[in-house]
Amino acid sequence: MSFALPSAEVAADFKDALQDLKINSRPEISNLTIIAKENTEHAQAISRELENHIRSTRPEWKLPALYVLDSIVKNVGTPYTVYLGRNLYRTFMDAYTLMDMPTRKAMEGLLKTWKQPVPESMDTRPVFPSEVTRDIENALIKYRTVAIQQQALSQKQALHAVPARPMPATPWRNTPTPPQSTSRYTPSNDPRVRQAIPQQYGAQIPPTSTPPAQFPPGTNFQDRGASIDLDKLNSDIEKLISSARSEWALNPSDTGIQQKLKALFDLQTILKHQQLPPEQIRQIQDQVIQLSPAPAPSAPTSTSVPNSIPSFPSVLQQSATPVQPSSTPFSLSQFLAQNLPQQQPSSTPVSLPQILRQSVTPAQGSSTPVPAPPVYRPSVQPAPTPSNPPSLAQLLQQFGPAATPAAPTPVPAPPPPMSLAQLFSQPTATANPAGGADWLLNALRSQNLLGANNGTSVPPAPAPMSVSSIFPSTDPVDRSWSSSVRIENDVELTTASITKKSRPNLIAKLYEALPNQCATCGRRFETSAKGKEMKTRHMDWHFKVKDPDAAKRGVHRSWYINEREWIEFREQDDAAPAQASNGASDASGMLGVAKKETKDQYIHVPTDAALVHAPCPICQEKFEPQWLVDANDFVWMDAIKVNDKIYHATCWEEYSRGGGVGGGGGRNTPDSVLGKRKAEVSTNGLFKKTRAD
Amino acid sequence: MTTLPGLSLSAPQESLPQVPVSRTQDLPAGSEYRFEVPFSRSLGVKLLSGTAELFGTELAPHTKDPYTFSGIKAAIYTWHGCRLELSGETESEYTAEETQMMSYANAHFALENVRERAKASGQMGPRVLVVGPENAGKTSVVRILTAYAVKAGRQPVVVNLDPRQGMLSVPGSLTATTFASIVDVEEGWGSSPISGPSPVPVKMPLVYHYGLASPEEGKTFRPLVTRMALAVTSRLEEDAEAKTAGCIIDTPGAISHGKGGVYENIQHIISEFSVNVLLVLGSERLYSDMSRKFSNSPSEEPVSVIKLDKSGGCVDRDEPYMKQLRQSQIRAYFFGHGVNTLSPHTHWEDYSSVHIFKIVEEAKNTNRSFLPGDDDDGFASTTIYERVQPSPMIQNSLLAVTNADPNDKQEAIRDSSIMGYVYVADVEESKHKIRLLAPLSGRVPPHAMVLGSFPEDVADLVG
Repeated sequence: MSFALPSAEVAADFKDALQDLKINSRPEISNLTIIAKENTEHAQAISRELENHIRSTRPEWKLPALYVLDSIVKNVGTPYTVYLGRNLYRTFMDAYTLMDMPTRKAMEGLLKTWKQPVPESMDTRPVFPSEVTRDIENALIKYRTVAIQQQALSQKQALHAVPARPMPATPWRNTPTPPQSTSRYTPSNDPRVRQAIPQQYGAQIPPTSTPPAQFPPGTNFQDRGASIDLDKLNSDIEKLISSARSEWALNPSDTGIQQKLKALFDLQTILKHQQLPPEQIRQIQDQVIQLSPAPAPSAPTSTSVPNSIPSFPSVLQQSATPVQPSSTPFSLSQFLAQNLPQQQPSSTPVSLPQILRQSVTPAQGSSTPVPAPPVYRPSVQPAPTPSNPPSLAQLLQQFGPAATPAAPTPVPAPPPPMSLAQLFSQPTATANPAGGADWLLNALRSQNLLGANNGTSVPPAPAPMSVSSIFPSTDPVDRSWSSSVRIENDVELTTASITKKSRPNLIAKLYEALPNQCATCGRRFETSAKGKEMKTRHMDWHFKVKDPDAAKRGVHRSWYINEREWIEFREQDDAAPAQASNGASDASGMLGVAKKETKDQYIHVPTDAALVHAPCPICQEKFEPQWLVDANDFVWMDAIKVNDKIYHATCWEEYSRGGGVGGGGGRNTPDSVLGKRKAEVSTNGLFKKTRAD
Repeated sequence: MTTLPGLSLSAPQESLPQVPVSRTQDLPAGSEYRFEVPFSRSLGVKLLSGTAELFGTELAPHTKDPYTFSGIKAAIYTWHGCRLELSGETESEYTAEETQMMSYANAHFALENVRERAKASGQMGPRVLVVGPENAGKTSVVRILTAYAVKAGRQPVVVNLDPRQGMLSVPGSLTATTFASIVDVEEGWGSSPISGPSPVPVKMPLVYHYGLASPEEGKTFRPLVTRMALAVTSRLEEDAEAKTAGCIIDTPGAISHGKGGVYENIQHIISEFSVNVLLVLGSERLYSDMSRKFSNSPSEEPVSVIKLDKSGGCVDRDEPYMKQLRQSQIRAYFFGHGVNTLSPHTHWEDYSSVHIFKIVEEAKNTNRSFLPGDDDDGFASTTIYERVQPSPMIQNSLLAVTNADPNDKQEAIRDSSIMGYVYVADVEESKHKIRLLAPLSGRVPPHAMVLGSFPEDVADLVG
């Protein structure tokens, strides 16, 4: 790179290179980083180009571009951190809103690293100044809070509209018809649930993944919005923060207080900087009041809510009672939980533990189906509910197991997460005298996690019906290959041993030992990881050979290979990992590899009639069209076009090396005759290649 | 060189949609559904539930399109019971409870034990020869053993020495192929390589041309066996996968008749291929002769002689059926089979550019001295072939394109594997031109071509 280049030119070069970046390709990214490094004097132009690119490119190409940004700021640092930091909020958030969930996760991962110093660097400062990252983080927290809320709302709506179906837009299973009776967690016939459904959520609020800005602020909440007093809320939070601070000062090692404090700070930031829908504010308010140590604050909303609505103020009242320990963490989710399963008259103060117990006790007289407890271990829970977290009512019902003797598996709390909701969902043991704190924690966390995934994650396809299921009598142990080998194969090579005795158990080796069957051709694979891998490759192969146009292309039978080639030929299993070489094509060892490159050159069959019929000018042999999977077209293998004439690539190489054309002096290796393969021979090599693919 | 665009349309006559009356057929475990479908009809078979296999190759469950059979006599066996959906017409069909599948499967597991031992010791796997009279189910047993071996992850070399039916080639050829992929259900053994993709993995055969119907006639059978054994043994030595799996050899029924208790061809095959497992199908006498000869022979490696019963499903395949089968195999070579339609090419060649060697049959050979000695080649080597000029006589016949040069010795031509077949579509005697149907475009290489009397001429291959 010349230092004389003007910024615009460097930037244009950089831009061109960026345009080509469509996947997360390490070499390309490091190449772009090097360009940036060598042109720090043009950092401003390059940064601008990068920002523009991230903003304008297609969503799926944004992440690689962000990786370029990441690579540059970490490997080059200033001045890029300065230039890129200026607009980082916008760059990041604009992209974030367009991404799907996995990509968002990746972006969050990036953000996390930006808050830390560059790995293996002497500099202890974070990659980006904390002000830069904090803004983004706050926005993300806000976003996720909204997402969770919306989820909860849509949950209610869903319950309201189609009781049995958690979310109408999302298929619960792979079956076209949703189960009518119930999802696994929804007690559809539980009167409590219906009772708890708020009546005035008229408008369909799009479920989740809506950026906060799109949330219709206050449209449906006017009736209650009036009671919201932001200033009071803020001051309440202020109070809480100060009390928590003093608490923390007394007990600095208490991570619970620490988290609480942080959450409160976050909450404060959100309230100050962002416009939240009244509904959320209300909920926050309720939470705050709930947290307030004041014994009975007179909530201004408590009287204005009609009876038919599960009233938030009632919760407020409940939580205001001394039953609730003052240290109860405030959880939006819990808050919802208290609302959803509410079966008590709203005026009766109920403690959270009470609600928990009530909602899990079948003896309550409800027809809540309580399936076998193990199913509801929180660790199991994420799998069946990938895209749609159960409502809190459902969730709480899972706490049945917590009360059973079965020992819950406590999961150590992860390092303080940045999500508000997650923070809120960190109950302390005191909140749950039933001992289900860990369960609640885990369940909420998993729900939260799922909530973050909502909208994009695809429910796992129901496990393909195992073929072994048609052999119900088979001992499951026999289904793995290794164990089936242990089936004693006592057949000897004698007429008596073969014809006299029936050994039905041995047949399992051909069937049950390989339960994973390809539906297209019937081939069987093991259930092991290796077998799955093989089947995947096998299915890829099926896909590759499926060419609806094959008939139109004029496929023809190939000549048979000759003896030598056949002896050297090795069958390539479509399910085996692709191997670099096969049989005849590398007959000459290392030379074969080098020659392979030459003879693997191909050109598309020319359309010019004169060229089609012209033989190779060197050997006078004609070219043979060959269907190539990779090119998806008919090609001439081993062909090269030089000065409007087409030669065999091998012929041309020999010719040019032999001095016929200057400039071939670089190679001294004598060429083996074996290495030279013309089109017709390489046909076989090609065939192998396509099969190996 | 001309392409005939309409050519490929002439192939599948079963493409006319028949009104399929579908019915279900329940098979209890351990029974088989035997059916015969003439060439003029087709039968669709779909596996609805359970498992089913055709000659050891499992039918896929949940297939969108049913398997279509035409011109076939076969049986679908089930180990676990199954329900089939059948559509179309058969010539005859019935369900049989008594089958030999258990002993055939046992034979497979016995071979698997040998293979395991071979793998552990680095030895060569079993070399299996299947003998027996015509229509005893030899090819079926070979297919079952092959399919099971493939299923068990082996790559056996399968050798077909029966010129009456082709394996991955036309009748009249002898082939050897390593099977590593699933054996086709609909189309016999499957297909040799084509230039495009194939829904069933193609097989890579090594093909020799025999050109006569019976191994007992002519002088080229045994030299060809020797040559093939050389190639197969080399492959087994060099290909680790194949080495473990060994080879399975199918034979024509004719060699199992013996002349006065002497089975020259069987002995020859056994010694050339170092056969160590001999499966005798459906003939007590042959079994007794074989076990007497090999069981207590003091040779360095003993041959295990095993008697297998003939399956009750074996039917006699009469000559008209065999002829139709041959013709359909030849047709499939050029035009493909089923949905895999191929486009062969026809083009004109000068008389001078084709070098045709006609196999001299025993009967003619005796008269040879009376023929004008117009070819010098006959002087140089023994008279395996006589060189013939193209003439209207050879119209509609099949020529095997060898890898040998026309000036090579006749033994070299005989021992050469072949590149493929061309069909003499037309002979213009006045212009000294011959029109050839070749599987692919471009000139047919100027190699020696062998003309045999088998398979017989196919009249209407090119419309």
